Amino acid sequence: MAEPGLSVSLRQSGPIPLDVAFTCAPGEVLGLVGPSGAGKTTVLRAIAGLYRTRAGRVGVDGAVWFDSETGVYLPPHRRRVGLVFQEHALFPHLSAAANVAVALSDHPRAERHSLAMALLSRVHLEGLETRKPAELSGGQRQRVAIARALARDPQVLLLDEPFSAVDRRTRVHLQAEIVALRKDLAIPMLLVTHDVDEVARLADRLCILDQGRVCLTGRPDEVLAQPAIRALLLGDEAA
Amino acid sequence: MDWEAFKLSLLLAACTAGVLMPLGLILARWLAFHRFPGRGVIEALVMAPLVLPPTVLGFYLLTAMGGNSSLGKLWIAIFGHPLAFSFEGLVVASLIFNLPFAVQPMQRAFEALPPDVREAAWVSGLSPWRTFWRIEAPLAWPGLLSALALTFTHTMGEFGVVLMVGGSIPGETRTLALAIYDRVQAFDTQGAQLMSATLLAFSIGAILIANGLTARVGRRHG
Amino acid sequence: MSIVRRSVLSAAIGGVVISLGAASLMAAERAPTIAAASDLSAALPEVAAAFQARTGRQVRLTFGSSGNFTQQILNGAPYEVFLSADEAYVETLRKAGRTEGSGALYGTGRIGIFAPTGSSVRADAALTGLATALRAGQVSKVAIANPDHAPYGRAAREALQKTGLWDALQGKLILGENVSQATQFAINGGAQAGIIPLSLALTAPVKAAGVFVLIPADRHGPLRQRGVLIRGAGTTAKAFHAFLQGREARTILTRHGFTVPGAR
Repeated sequence: MAEPGLSVSLRQSGPIPLDVAFTCAPGEVLGLVGPSGAGKTTVLRAIAGLYRTRAGRVGVDGAVWFDSETGVYLPPHRRRVGLVFQEHALFPHLSAAANVAVALSDHPRAERHSLAMALLSRVHLEGLETRKPAELSGGQRQRVAIARALARDPQVLLLDEPFSAVDRRTRVHLQAEIVALRKDLAIPMLLVTHDVDEVARLADRLCILDQGRVCLTGRPDEVLAQPAIRALLLGDEAA
Repeated sequence: MDWEAFKLSLLLAACTAGVLMPLGLILARWLAFHRFPGRGVIEALVMAPLVLPPTVLGFYLLTAMGGNSSLGKLWIAIFGHPLAFSFEGLVVASLIFNLPFAVQPMQRAFEALPPDVREAAWVSGLSPWRTFWRIEAPLAWPGLLSALALTFTHTMGEFGVVLMVGGSIPGETRTLALAIYDRVQAFDTQGAQLMSATLLAFSIGAILIANGLTARVGRRHG
Repeated sequence: MSIVRRSVLSAAIGGVVISLGAASLMAAERAPTIAAASDLSAALPEVAAAFQARTGRQVRLTFGSSGNFTQQILNGAPYEVFLSADEAYVETLRKAGRTEGSGALYGTGRIGIFAPTGSSVRADAALTGLATALRAGQVSKVAIANPDHAPYGRAAREALQKTGLWDALQGKLILGENVSQATQFAINGGAQAGIIPLSLALTAPVKAAGVFVLIPADRHGPLRQRGVLIRGAGTTAKAFHAFLQGREARTILTRHGFTVPGAR
């Protein structure tokens, strides 16, 4: 029953109410959109193993990462998941290369440096590998975060509002990176964002979340055309 | 200069630090990273020795450890002498009254770690154990050093509790601070001055070193 | 292994090793500890030195108030000889089963009034100088040992009560934890007068700091000072206790103002 891709179902009444279920196929970008407090970040954290819901199931490529019925729960370090945090969450005491290398502990020590360098050049950061996060710009830090997430050789890539902390121009560049990456990686990718334009441009499918429930799933152009959805998302942005 | 008292103080400080650093670290991490009912109570208990008058603490410890208590009697049965008025009794008392000095700086240091940094470590494949060694400890290092310096110097200078729990038995429980008191009472102001100056220099020196190292470590992280 | 890990590991190992080392150090055979009332703090070191010269054996001395030591011994403190400034505390310990025998009288002590140089109080045996200064409002502090646990403090209180000055001095007394501390207060200028032991008044620092006059012995209960072996005392302690009754020790004690048994 090895079903490729990500399948998620999460249910709990509190403290953060959730009732979601969706799938994401390999190579597909699924956007999670919704007003603040809708539970989007919670869903990502639950998939990564940083948050445990009362009930639900998370399966990836046939392997079960979480199943409340059988009591299976893999801690985050046992899941091969790539998570790009909103505020990069880089290790401040390590250089860019060392940051990436942390995620390479599965590989023999001798290979780690060259692999880290390769990943950094993939995100166009050659020459900056010895710099510490404090010495990098916001956009550069996010690239390191992406490289580190990829270094894990993840089965799922999760992006939690990855570009909200950078300026517009950098954001456009980084979005282009994601588009390029998506062609190379054949894994499910989840993108949580506030930015409706961004999700329209990057996502293959959208999941609209409101107060922990999925209201609607579908292609961006279809979903975003609906007036109720636009009101929900843009009304919130205007406010 | 009462070298025996000096040696005793150093030994007491070293034993205390040796035991309290790992134990305090575990407690500090637990308090920093977990929310649970009763956490406030534990924190208050940890802080209690800071606000309790040393004589109150000493009195309770003496009651608990003296020859008339169950612990005291048990100790006598095993070792032939009571826990109070012995060096081991001082170590036990020292572990208790140094708890806040050891735990609080470390707890603050761990609390200051951005939570997503730890999560990023886990998600990058590091187990909690390896996350501690490679990510938490290098970032919380100044707090750990602070705890060590404070515990050490505080133990060197502690008076009230040591006097009550240990008596002032030369060679056993007469630490440097007590020796100074003893010299003053014996009208030996010269001896008292020499030892006081030594203790002062030692304490300030330890703090200076700790601060200096902390500043250097801080600079490395930018 | 990273440097952090290595340092912490070595510190932990070091801590354990040091603790074990300390424990074994403490277990080694050591000279017995003699708990002595503070009024002996000038005389006893000399006696101990004479003891060492004669027998080659060492003792450790610790001074404090008799009441304090009694409490500690009741709590199991490892002293081997207790030299109290009175007999009542020894009796307390004997009744509690902490002693070997009932001990022996080693001397009788005396108290007197001490006035530091420049004080408003004139020192005299009948304490009239103190009374005068009190009436004139020139006295703010008088130092005595704490009567609750120092026999010399008790004697001071009795003498003050007998001369009718005790009530007038309420609120003006500074209580030393033991007679040494009381003497410190008296000579440091914190007090205008103090009632201190003769044995401490004969020391150089006190002599240089002011005037001392003996208070007649009939003004207070006698300070019969008793020494006793604590249960479990070793051979050195027993030898020291016996030495205290000998001629050499008695000569030293007499020189320090004690009236030894058998002397007039």
